[in-house]
Amino acid sequence: MSLKGKRILIAKPGLDGHDVGAKVIALALRDAGADVIYTGLRKSPEHIARVAVDEDVDAVGLSILSGSHKELVSEIVARLDDLDAGDIKVFVGGTIPPADHEDLKGSGAAGVFTAEMTIDEVLAEMDRELAP
Amino acid sequence: MSRGNGLDPKQRRALAQSLTRILDASVEEALAGLADAGPEPAQRLGMTGPPGAGKSMLICRLAARRLERDRRIGVLAIDPTSPVSQGSILGDRVRMETVAEHPALYVRSVPSRRAHDGLCDNIADLLLTMEGFGFDDVVLETVGVGQVEFAVRSLVDTVVLVLVPESGDTIQAMKAGILETADVIVVNKADLPGAGKIRAEVNAIIRRKKGDGGWLPPVIMASATEDNGIDELDDAIERHAAWLAEHRDREATRRERSRYHMQNLLLRRASEVLDGTAAESFDDALPQLFDRLVAGLTESREDKVGRRT
Repeated sequence: MSLKGKRILIAKPGLDGHDVGAKVIALALRDAGADVIYTGLRKSPEHIARVAVDEDVDAVGLSILSGSHKELVSEIVARLDDLDAGDIKVFVGGTIPPADHEDLKGSGAAGVFTAEMTIDEVLAEMDRELAP
Repeated sequence: MSRGNGLDPKQRRALAQSLTRILDASVEEALAGLADAGPEPAQRLGMTGPPGAGKSMLICRLAARRLERDRRIGVLAIDPTSPVSQGSILGDRVRMETVAEHPALYVRSVPSRRAHDGLCDNIADLLLTMEGFGFDDVVLETVGVGQVEFAVRSLVDTVVLVLVPESGDTIQAMKAGILETADVIVVNKADLPGAGKIRAEVNAIIRRKKGDGGWLPPVIMASATEDNGIDELDDAIERHAAWLAEHRDREATRRERSRYHMQNLLLRRASEVLDGTAAESFDDALPQLFDRLVAGLTESREDKVGRRT
């Protein structure tokens, strides 16, 4: 699996305080051999983009359960571009209605994950996207 | 002396990418990247202590003080790599959030990979790279305390050992260990019961050093969450730096760092050769195999021994 040795930032932007999903994904990625950087709750898009650059990650995984996924994803993609780091892929997971998936991909999300998916499906898709 | 403060976004990206390259570098690549004359050394601090002692938050508080003096500060925070998956969770940043936005602070999380000395594989190379970016301070946060973490002693100027009131048993185990190599000792979470007892125990151990004319490590009571004792810690570090400037043999220090670096390169090279050795080879008689592998140490990696994946 090409997740081995990848550096991935798991971040929670916005105001919801539920990080169980983020932690489950973080552990699954570690078990797949990735180095996972975890930042904690309620981080601003500016902060997430700066940490992504400082840590030189291959991808950012956002966990959003607040409903503001559209705004937050486009904001973070824009901030990464500001820092000349548009090559860092952005994934988003959480309570995201199917109707929003295409919009999110349009704003630059490399993958959109929902609670209906299994962990293995999530990892497989990230693996595909991050394959060299 | 301050070498100016903020890193601009381009420098950050360049530094971050250099560190990734060095983290993943083979010994050959690491050697190729070494300049003849190293960069001007930063003031190197090592922060060590058992997991959960509050090392990350102390670094955060200390950095806040030192950033006020216009210092450019880089932090390498090492977390353990899973021996099963080779993956890691790097969570030290979570505790450093209050200064995380400062333009003159750079924090990088580093997995320990195969290092067994509380540090990480290419630590000596990483430190040199950081210094190449003009940091005044480079802070190294180790995985956690143990007899094995003497290594940090070889690499930094000031070793800060962080203990907590619950560390009673740890201290017993450390009597002849890292306690004797620490330059500054912090009893963190000093608002908890047992803090005074720990201080007394630690003092009893280090007081034995008194009289040899050397540096006597101060024991500082602190609470990182309450932001107490941090000025005292900062002051102790500066006093130690001043003491080093007067008493340390610069040449000996340079040689000791160089020796650790070489040991680290040799061990990594040995690992590379082992990784490139087919499983069936270990059926062979060990003396012959040993000779063959030793010969392999000088072969170019181009042949068969690749980067570990």
